[in-house]
Amino acid sequence: MGKGQMCARIVVLSLSFACCGMARADGDSGGGSGWFSDMDVSFGGFIRPEVALHTTDKENPLNERGNPYNSIAAPRQAYLPPNSGTALLSALGSPIKLPLPLNWNSIPLPNVPLLLTGRDTVQRPVPPANNAFNLHLLRAEVEIGVKFTNDLKLVGRLRAVGDFGHYSDFEGYGPDSRINGGISGGDPALYGGAPNYFQYRVEGDKHPNPLEWAGPNYMVYFPSLFLDYNHGPLNVRLGNQAIAWGQAIFFRVLDVPDGLDLRRHSVLDYAQEEYSDKRVPAPALRLGYQITDGILADGYVQKFQPTVYGNPNTQYNVVPVQFTVHDRYSEGGYEDKLGYGLRMKANFGQWGFQAIAVRRYNPDGVFRWTASGVDKNLPATTSGSTPNLLGTFVNLANVLSGGAGKNLAGTPFEASPGGVYSADEWFHYAAMVRLDGTNGLNAAVNDFMPYTTKVFASPVANYQQAVGELNTFFIAGGGDLRGHIEREYFQETNLGSGVSYVTDGEPGSILDQLIINVEATYTPARVFTAPTLGKNFLHQNDWVSALVLEKYQRFSQDFPATYFVLQYMHRTRDDLFGRSLRGYSGTDTAIPTGETNANYVVFAFQQPFPQDIYRIGFSTLYDPHGGILVQPGLQFKPTGHWSIDGFYTYINDHLSGNPNSNLLGGLGFANEFTLRVGYQF
Amino acid sequence: MRIRKYDVDYSRRLFLERTAQGAFATGVLAPLWPLIASGDMSKAYPDELTSVEMYTKGKVKTGDVLTASNVDAVKDLLDPITFQQIKTMGRRITVVETVKDPTLLYPMAFLETSLKNKGKAKLGADGNIVDQAGDSWLGGIPFAEPKTGEEAIANLTLSWGRHDYCQYAIRQWDISPGGDPAYQYDFVWAELQANARLDGTSFQNKKDLLRIQSVWFTSPQDVAGSSFLSTWYYDQHKYPDLYGYLPAFKRVRQFPTNQRFEPLLPGITWFLSDAWAAGDPMLTWGNYKIVGRQPMLGAVSQNWHGSRKNWEIGVHGGPKGQTFLDANFSMCPECIVLEAEPVGYPRAPVGKKRVWIDVRNQQFVAYITYDRRGEIWKSFEVGWSRYQDGSTLVKDPKGNSEWSWTYVLSHDIQANRMSRAAHTESCAGGYKSQLADNGVDVYNKYLTNQAITRLGQA
Repeated sequence: MGKGQMCARIVVLSLSFACCGMARADGDSGGGSGWFSDMDVSFGGFIRPEVALHTTDKENPLNERGNPYNSIAAPRQAYLPPNSGTALLSALGSPIKLPLPLNWNSIPLPNVPLLLTGRDTVQRPVPPANNAFNLHLLRAEVEIGVKFTNDLKLVGRLRAVGDFGHYSDFEGYGPDSRINGGISGGDPALYGGAPNYFQYRVEGDKHPNPLEWAGPNYMVYFPSLFLDYNHGPLNVRLGNQAIAWGQAIFFRVLDVPDGLDLRRHSVLDYAQEEYSDKRVPAPALRLGYQITDGILADGYVQKFQPTVYGNPNTQYNVVPVQFTVHDRYSEGGYEDKLGYGLRMKANFGQWGFQAIAVRRYNPDGVFRWTASGVDKNLPATTSGSTPNLLGTFVNLANVLSGGAGKNLAGTPFEASPGGVYSADEWFHYAAMVRLDGTNGLNAAVNDFMPYTTKVFASPVANYQQAVGELNTFFIAGGGDLRGHIEREYFQETNLGSGVSYVTDGEPGSILDQLIINVEATYTPARVFTAPTLGKNFLHQNDWVSALVLEKYQRFSQDFPATYFVLQYMHRTRDDLFGRSLRGYSGTDTAIPTGETNANYVVFAFQQPFPQDIYRIGFSTLYDPHGGILVQPGLQFKPTGHWSIDGFYTYINDHLSGNPNSNLLGGLGFANEFTLRVGYQF
Repeated sequence: MRIRKYDVDYSRRLFLERTAQGAFATGVLAPLWPLIASGDMSKAYPDELTSVEMYTKGKVKTGDVLTASNVDAVKDLLDPITFQQIKTMGRRITVVETVKDPTLLYPMAFLETSLKNKGKAKLGADGNIVDQAGDSWLGGIPFAEPKTGEEAIANLTLSWGRHDYCQYAIRQWDISPGGDPAYQYDFVWAELQANARLDGTSFQNKKDLLRIQSVWFTSPQDVAGSSFLSTWYYDQHKYPDLYGYLPAFKRVRQFPTNQRFEPLLPGITWFLSDAWAAGDPMLTWGNYKIVGRQPMLGAVSQNWHGSRKNWEIGVHGGPKGQTFLDANFSMCPECIVLEAEPVGYPRAPVGKKRVWIDVRNQQFVAYITYDRRGEIWKSFEVGWSRYQDGSTLVKDPKGNSEWSWTYVLSHDIQANRMSRAAHTESCAGGYKSQLADNGVDVYNKYLTNQAITRLGQA
């Protein structure tokens, strides 16, 4: 017995003694007498460093240091705001007579040295990253089982994850970091500088996940901590737990109870492990009842816990950092909400059936523009210390209406570093994250009147006008503007069913013991983020379905059977990540045309070697619109204590056509080799 | 002095004649089963078949330890892999007294039921085992004196553990070719007879089932919670339904049922197909042939170490002294040698299996498999015993000492990897071995889809 194992056992046994005072140690099992004669404590765990070696020169474009406009000089031309009026120009001494009607391309503003910047080129003031590694994790887990009686046990799994690696991290904006007081809006722990790898924080609550304790570089939590009671056909689980439903793997069709935790390695872990450590646990009561041999009822009520996205500037962040996100999980009262559902599962020989009905808050949430709340005037100088006449003009014009800062606070914008610096950047990112750059600007203007009007913003009619307005305001903002969005959650009903069938064919043939599984869910009036980020979310009836074929086939007498899985998924409203298909197929210069449906094909296999000491894995996800993810891997388990896994993730988001037309567009930075070395005790 | 009419050659000739004629009688000096019923088998065989000393002409005596130096004298009494283990790998086996009391070879209830139902079984038109009325088998050994290979395998298949419910807490070590214990697993194997039960009932009136069986791993952490539920149909042409819970998937999923020749976990040498030398529905195999009868040395008694902590067994031999479990073998005067081929599994890596079945209890004492090239591949050796070790014993509900298996040595001689499993008192997770349900609703607790979800823990 190792020293660590002994220490851990002492801790566990001490806890047991403290709990009941009746346990005794006896090898790996404890026993006693009386009420707790069946009592037993079991314990196990592992520690595993994980590294992901970056194999491309691309960086995550959603982070400050991965932004391509850190290396691209973008031209900007300011225009006279169409609603500024001739009088104001006149007050400034301009002899220009305004033609009517005006728009955001009507009157370009000239450059006046030391006075007015009307036209320039801008390059984001952030040094590009050059990461050798995407990931340096140290993970440790312990699982404790305390069997009180034959019917009652406590199951606990404690997971600790630390990221102590060195990256080309974002560390603030250097000389520009104090421009206009630096970033003012949002949670300073998330937007104040260096990335915060682990803390999940929402507006009004720094600790929204129960049984989780985290700092910027570590996280400790209980993925499971529940009491399990079983008597006859009844099973009850009470406590923090994750729930997985459905037969399909990786494609989540019936697997709706829990959101995902996309911190750490996002969805880019070994694909064949599915979401083993990704489902967000929640305090829940789960009841199971085996009605007959073949029919099982499985229901739950659980506290609503949202999907957790990676924090700004962490390697696998999925929200552009030019946005400041205000998560309303706490302020909106969602912390007190419950989700509940029932699944009926029936097996009759070769046939299997399941049906679900779930009422839940969609854990992914939806986003829209929100007032920044940042009461800060536009800066008097630009990042180059040049006088900012445009910004000063806006400030002065708002003196009588409470100040520009107050009015800006009522818009979704904040004049602080790290935002969008040019219209080019705006449209590039809008297309990349499946948003509509032109109408998104209009939504930001229209949904926040009169504040937007007071700062001279107005709707545009087309892309060119949007470019004019955006560049004008970025110049007026002293260089850039940050956008503010909020995340909200909506209740929905998921109705789903699945059928599986195991074929009988000629023994040994490809059609023998082929497992065919079809699953589908229907969600009426599901709420999606509008591609404009407008206040009116999309409400659409949503179908998600999948066909899964699984097969074990022996090709050789010397090697165990190869496991194959071929899956096809069809979605009618959103993509695999929950983004509305209406935001698809935008470009740097054109608004999205949208897609009518999304289709994905997954093919994977596993080939164990004799004795299963080595195992080759291969997975690929193909989007017919031009994206592919390929992930070969090798698992090696030389002894019971040690395991070594290596896998390479290759993503090509431009096999054909527009990368923003396929699921993987924007993920090309994640080509990487991941190595994990585990020691279990 | 015994007349030398019944020397080894006489027995050998008699066994050859019986094999050639397809005769099914057991016993050499007298029919075996009446003696089993009387409780003393000593008059069934000549001393040459019950005494290793007489068989080897004094080269090996009861109480001796078989080693490389003397194993040649008993080469004909061992399967070829066991012989190689002793001859070349440092294995040692103690020869103990030959069993004459039949009750030492059975659970009492199973023996009583076998005697009660003797002669009532037949093979139905579809090859399944039925009673004279054509209903499911009544319990106990169906064919006390098997005439065919099908009848011989039926004796192994219909009731694996010879109890209506068995739950084995198992600790297994998998030994690398270098002799190191590379992997160690704790798991529980549970079997519930649905029919062919000793209590004469069909469990919950499930007349279409033979048994419900599950296995769940409890240690180490990376496999803890992996569990499989296999529902066997009474119709032995049908593959069992198989459901599995894998911790990574966090849910029960359906698995194909014909993958019975695959390593369950890294390092494990045995397949599901190897269990009890009859791990598959018997009619999914074919070409059953009784190819011989012979005496054997087998681990049929005195192999339980209940006085030791967790019933664990000492180890020895191999490169690091860790490869083999200590075992006691004794003379088995008459064994059927059965061969069969996996005709229902055309892609199976196994070409055929050979099983030596002790006619005294119709249980196997040796079992080896051959690969598709005809080369010897693996052995699956099981130790059996009454559960009595000095004053320590495990009792059945009537107060008799229990009987079950005590260890398994599964040796892949081609890869030179050994899996050694011990039937222990308890294993990680707090599960204890038991040979009855002890009043617990074991069906709902261990043998349903919901159960394996729960056993999957976190």
